[in-house]
Amino acid sequence: MRESTIMKIHYGTAIAAVALVAVHVLIRVTHGFAESLEYESVIANYRYVPYAIMLELILVLLSVHGFNGLRVILLELRQGRLYEKSVSYGCMAAMIGLIAYGSRTIIVTNMGLV
Amino acid sequence: MGRDGKKGIGGMADPRRYGIERVAYWLMRLSGLGLLAYFVAHIYETSNILRGRVGWDEILQMTQTIEGHIILALVIGMCVFHTVNGIRVMLGHGGVWVGRPARPDYPYNPASQNYRHKIGIYSAIILAAVAMMYGLAVLFGE
Repeated sequence: MRESTIMKIHYGTAIAAVALVAVHVLIRVTHGFAESLEYESVIANYRYVPYAIMLELILVLLSVHGFNGLRVILLELRQGRLYEKSVSYGCMAAMIGLIAYGSRTIIVTNMGLV
Repeated sequence: MGRDGKKGIGGMADPRRYGIERVAYWLMRLSGLGLLAYFVAHIYETSNILRGRVGWDEILQMTQTIEGHIILALVIGMCVFHTVNGIRVMLGHGGVWVGRPARPDYPYNPASQNYRHKIGIYSAIILAAVAMMYGLAVLFGE
């Protein structure tokens, strides 16, 4: 993929993530920070489908943005065909792994399997 | 100076002689790495909900400490700085606030490093500090 396209994705995920994370944080603060972290409250959040979808979106957006940001930082430090490919595929693998791990939490809790 | 006349990472890290823009460059990268580390830790932390009430309460006890609150306040600060400075960088890449093209005359001041972007960087730092103070008030005020 062209670097210009990757940077557009990087900026797009940033803008979308800012909006969704703001909603996520506002819900914590408006419901009382300590109360919103109680077990029943967290379970209720995960079981509410629109909120679960929002958490999944945040997970994907921040994973893409975060690991692409890490890739950019690592490519600034050193260059080389093998190094660049290793960094790109390594970041991609880490991104997919984190999305899979986070999605497991969201899906299992949303389906009431906890 | 290192081999081949290159200063390497030390040269990149040196904020002297390059103004607030170099500081913003480093703060952007450090806050990005800090936020990524927090994000991975947060995903792990929330996965403990799968261990039931006992597992959740255990992990919550680990994070709801003075150290945990201070780390969270730092995360709030990094998040606000990264967001505000990121918007400034995006606008700059889009050609906003970078000045008009002109003939390069002595003392060769770069048009893109103008007062608008400097204000943007200082605003990001001030807003991050304010958000951290608010975060500390919420976390320790409960």
